[in-house]
Amino acid sequence: MNAQLVFDGKRLILRNFSFQFFSILMPAGFYLLFTKVMTSGTVPASFNAQYMGSMIVYSGTISAIFGLAAMLLHDREEGLLQWLQLMPGGLKAYYGSIGFWTLVMNAISVLVMGILAVVVNQVNLSIWQWLGVLLSALIGQLPVILLGVMLSFLNRAETLSVISNLVTFPMAIISGLWWPMSILPSWLRPIGKTMPTYFVNDLLGQITTHGTLKATDIMGIGAWIIGLALVALVVTQQLLKRGNGVVKA
Amino acid sequence: MAALIEANDIEFSYGKQAVLKGLSLTIKQGEIIGLIGENGAGKTTLLNLLLGVHPIQQGQLTVFGQQPGTTATHQRIGSMLQGDLVLRGVTVKDLLTLAAARYDQAVAPVELMATLDLTKLANQKIATLSGGQQRRVTFALALIGNPDLLFLDEPTVAMDTNAQQAFWQRIKKLKAQGKTVIITSHYLPEIQNVADRILLLQGGQLIFQGTFQALQQQYQQVEITCQTELPATTFTDLPGVTAVSQDVQTVHISSEDGDATIGALTPFLSQLHQVTVSRESLADIFVHLTKGVIA
Repeated sequence: MNAQLVFDGKRLILRNFSFQFFSILMPAGFYLLFTKVMTSGTVPASFNAQYMGSMIVYSGTISAIFGLAAMLLHDREEGLLQWLQLMPGGLKAYYGSIGFWTLVMNAISVLVMGILAVVVNQVNLSIWQWLGVLLSALIGQLPVILLGVMLSFLNRAETLSVISNLVTFPMAIISGLWWPMSILPSWLRPIGKTMPTYFVNDLLGQITTHGTLKATDIMGIGAWIIGLALVALVVTQQLLKRGNGVVKA
Repeated sequence: MAALIEANDIEFSYGKQAVLKGLSLTIKQGEIIGLIGENGAGKTTLLNLLLGVHPIQQGQLTVFGQQPGTTATHQRIGSMLQGDLVLRGVTVKDLLTLAAARYDQAVAPVELMATLDLTKLANQKIATLSGGQQRRVTFALALIGNPDLLFLDEPTVAMDTNAQQAFWQRIKKLKAQGKTVIITSHYLPEIQNVADRILLLQGGQLIFQGTFQALQQQYQQVEITCQTELPATTFTDLPGVTAVSQDVQTVHISSEDGDATIGALTPFLSQLHQVTVSRESLADIFVHLTKGVIA
């Protein structure tokens, strides 16, 4: 497991420019842009804290739907899964390691956005609020991680790229990650409020502004996790039945 | 030598399509086996069964005396499959280190890279290597677990001549160490030169298993060329002769029964000069066999 962790850590974090740029630098840039540059008058402290949560969720969504899905598809296409299946230990360490680093990616985004919020915008949260932000970000992102896993089952990288764009950006917009939901058309708001990213963003907002948890957010995240886990399970079983992993000779 | 692989009357089908039909074979420790056959002959399926990718449907199959696909068998098998692992952001050393951690008896990556002349490439990203270099890395991955049984699938594709020679030298050393090697390749001269035995699959059945010499004996096609002043018609009625052609003083005789034709030429030896006898290569025999000339 240690060797697998080191192996994946290098390629998923240290040598992964896409992660560093799209998942960390870009949301960090957005955070600075919308809280420091494109502002007029005094920005409420609560907005600085809330928008930190939004960019944490956005970063995690990019990591899961673009980074994780692309990596899983790449590994399958290049034969890594087949190769590991033919070795002692099989695929358990691989999936364990990918899961671990996906959570680390989210933790890094919490850390980076948190540092920016404190240093640049003087956001002041209690230790319990920070812990709540971290845990909520890690658990609350599980639905988009599962969504990334399912998208990785697509057959072609080109298709994945198109669908990732079609899923991520509309979902980010209608669930209020970029702009307040109040500016959305009234018919779109109820749809936005069913998105997994809405629930976790709202939960982070509750923690950063009121220091409380909202039951409906937790239930919404839970429902998405159960639903997507079941779908992922069924899809995986179907793929295995179709004879995935055949060795060519 | 002990039997490493024993297959008895294996049948395998994808749905209603039968792929392997009553296949039986024994492979002993230390043998180099050339597994050949046309596309769709059943090589892929046989390899998948031996590696435990597919479960056995009918018949018996054991690898190291066990069901294929267990952790114990994986510990002793190295596989060099057709595709190379071209992973983003991964160096040669990274991949070998990951693989080494999986095996109980692994060779140290540094040592293996030195043996296979990969040390200079250790810190290079695999994606930046040439096709031949990537193939050598894949070979290293097959050897990292110090396996007793190796499956090599089109091993020398994209390798340059020097790399190919080094590769076949390594195979001979592995044989000397008592390792068993099963090679599938469409470069039949390689198989002809290195394999102790050849398994020829056609339509899901083994139509030949034995040494190349035995295959040549079974398939007696020869080409005889000589210089002579005798007319070509002298040779047309000799036993086994299928065709005779003459080019000035050079006569070309094709025979489907080499031994009989050569025996019948004995009375003419004093009038024949610069006689050459060419037996068919494995590639020639393969073409004849798979086209149904002999089946």
